Amino acid sequence: MSCDATRLAVSLRCDGELPDGPELDELDAHLAGCDECRRFERDAARLRARLRLEPVDEAPDIAAGVMAVLQASTAEAPTSPDRVTRQRARRRPAASGTAGPTLVTPGRRPRRPLVAAAVAAVAGIVAGATFVGIGRTPQSPAAADIPSEVVAAQREVRSVDAHFEVSESDEPGTRTGRLAYEAPETLALSVEGGNTLVVDRDAWWQQTRRECSPVAGRVSCPESIARWVTSVTGREPFSASAPIPLELVTPVDSFALAATPGGTGLGVRTIVGHRAVGVTVTAAQVAPFLSGLGEAAALRPVYPADPVEMWLDADHLVPLVVEVRAADDAWRPRWAAAQGVVDRPGDTIVSFEVTSLRVNRPVAGDAFDPPRGRPDATVDGGFRATRTTIAPEPSRLPEGFRPQRSGTVTAPGGPRVGVRSWSDGRAWLTVRATEGWRGGRLFGDLGPDVRPIDLGPAGQGYVSADGRSVALHGDGIDVVVGGSLAPSQLQDVAADLGIVGRVVPPSWSEAASGTLSGTVQAVPGLLAPRGLDGFGSAAVRSDGQTVSLVYAGPGDRGFTLVQDPATSQLAPSGAGDAVGVTVRGVPGRYSYEQGQLEWVEDGTSRALRSPSLTLGELLAIAEGLAPE
Amino acid sequence: MDELDPEMIRAAAAGDLAAFEKIVRAYQQNIWRFLRRFLGDAAAAEDVAQEVFLRLYRSLPSFAHQAKFSAWVFKIARNAALDELRRQKRRERLMVAAATVAVTDGATGSDGTTGEARVEIEAALAALPDDLRETVVLVEVFGLPYAEVSDVVGVPVGTIKSRMFRARERMQTWARCAEEAAGEL
Repeated sequence: MSCDATRLAVSLRCDGELPDGPELDELDAHLAGCDECRRFERDAARLRARLRLEPVDEAPDIAAGVMAVLQASTAEAPTSPDRVTRQRARRRPAASGTAGPTLVTPGRRPRRPLVAAAVAAVAGIVAGATFVGIGRTPQSPAAADIPSEVVAAQREVRSVDAHFEVSESDEPGTRTGRLAYEAPETLALSVEGGNTLVVDRDAWWQQTRRECSPVAGRVSCPESIARWVTSVTGREPFSASAPIPLELVTPVDSFALAATPGGTGLGVRTIVGHRAVGVTVTAAQVAPFLSGLGEAAALRPVYPADPVEMWLDADHLVPLVVEVRAADDAWRPRWAAAQGVVDRPGDTIVSFEVTSLRVNRPVAGDAFDPPRGRPDATVDGGFRATRTTIAPEPSRLPEGFRPQRSGTVTAPGGPRVGVRSWSDGRAWLTVRATEGWRGGRLFGDLGPDVRPIDLGPAGQGYVSADGRSVALHGDGIDVVVGGSLAPSQLQDVAADLGIVGRVVPPSWSEAASGTLSGTVQAVPGLLAPRGLDGFGSAAVRSDGQTVSLVYAGPGDRGFTLVQDPATSQLAPSGAGDAVGVTVRGVPGRYSYEQGQLEWVEDGTSRALRSPSLTLGELLAIAEGLAPE
Repeated sequence: MDELDPEMIRAAAAGDLAAFEKIVRAYQQNIWRFLRRFLGDAAAAEDVAQEVFLRLYRSLPSFAHQAKFSAWVFKIARNAALDELRRQKRRERLMVAAATVAVTDGATGSDGTTGEARVEIEAALAALPDDLRETVVLVEVFGLPYAEVSDVVGVPVGTIKSRMFRARERMQTWARCAEEAAGEL
């Protein structure tokens, strides 16, 4: 018997797992003659004694805390994980059935578009280049880790109960607010003096303050119109038109495409008892977070290049502090004037700070109560839960994902759409499908720029520029996969649906989309960004000799590179604010208002367009262009 | 751990909070001890133990009474502990990385351990990979048979055998190194 075999047998005997038999004699014989194996046996016994006899701390009274939480949260029987939701469902207002599926939210301060960016130095000093993966200084490893950690952490967040304070430079004082969330689709967000949003799976309410606008013949506004409640019933799972601001829970959209740059690391600090890691990004990057907060707080406009300090709970990546400052930028005062605000560079213009946070603890059931009273407007989203649906089910799901709501959406004049959904914590996934699609473009609202991909046996797929939707145009069925997962995971799900995607008909707008390598062969002389980080793969579109490469980044960040070998001169500028700049060693021009950098190089006109990147960032991207 | 009256479990599953409290009180000591050993942190063990019983309450209706209830509770505790370890590792990655570029406030946690021998055994346990550590705690501290550990952890009995053997080797090596280091002082 070897020493290894002896020690394994000793280990088994120690645990009472060695059966009787002739091996026992062999074992004892070996032990009698081997000091090392006897020592192994002796030490095993010593370790056991220490582990079993070592006094550990007195166990705390867990029961008291557990029972207090349970009694506070619900007195119902635990017959189903969604018991609280079903209790609330009984209080939902009845659907009027008179309105169409389009949502209107009266009284909501419209989110103003993040208009064209600008930068300090026209000469091309790359003030904002640290946010682009070209020519940047090395990032802190912590900042580099955040994008992947945010995407991973969303699956471990099952509930959040946070109180916060929000302040804005154009509003006096600080307002308090509360965010309550239960995975996957139940959320309540309210801000003092602002709006209240409640999303409860297939129901959605928003209570807004309604400013009175007397019409002709009306002397004064009745007081009863001071608040306006919109209610949506039949909400589709993870509906984009009745949105659930999950970015406040985990800012996945703000970081999913950020890749390794992520921003500039700020180090660590403790915020309301939670270890937090900080990162500097731009307002454009965290636009989804600000937009989500704006559902309740009706935030003032921010400039895309405004620097933002974001601090995230290091355990769950829940945002704890978000501070937007005014950028020191030559174009910003003109932008601010157009928005009706006055900011000094460096001023804090929007501040969000969590004052208490509980994660993965039960949230009191009344946190998700809908606004009181009868809704002023009720919209039927058209979704009905059904046992069967035409939406196909993937043969494999990402590990941990469980089925959520599924059913059918019908809307007047619209196609009948089957929907399935799955989730794991805050992470979600949907498959939507329709038969006999005659939309003249891909089903699923992928946007004008898509990327064709080869899904192997599943045939031809199309990915939206931001990677968050994957469409298949199959025989008699059109499908789109969406979710908060990484683009590669969504593509895996699309490939496992059992549908073979076909190339779209030539008359569809997506027929002009191609791959970068294929387009380069067809149109020589094209340049493409090299070493670009923090953006997804290019969606390529050819219109004759004009080729557009569309790159989406995290949040609202993104840019388009347009090249036309048939045009060797810049067209007259329609923008009154164009200024001359040097691009790649040749003269070019930049329009702040249009966010467009143009130049002619090697007989080809080229333009970089972006509503969210600064001139400095566009110049950095231009410098990194090379033949593909 | 002792097995509970199935009627008590059924009552708790039907929403009887008093019955559920009895279940919590019956298991809280052992679950906390398991977590304390597995996580190596008394405060974290208390937090996670609370999470374990809340998870248990939510999932009681799905308990199949053919299975051993104590093993099922351990399974929930083990999964909650692994979630906590993932969070801790994420935090450590972020914190260690951030520490290279920023000054921290220096706040660190304490597990409140005292005594050299205790520190030694805690350190030896902490030095084990998660899969070995959970196996050691279930076998050595709670004396569970391999078949039961296999059920809790979700791996074959043969894997438990090899894990215990490897864990013993590693912990003995750790203890010898510690003794030698002490002898040199």
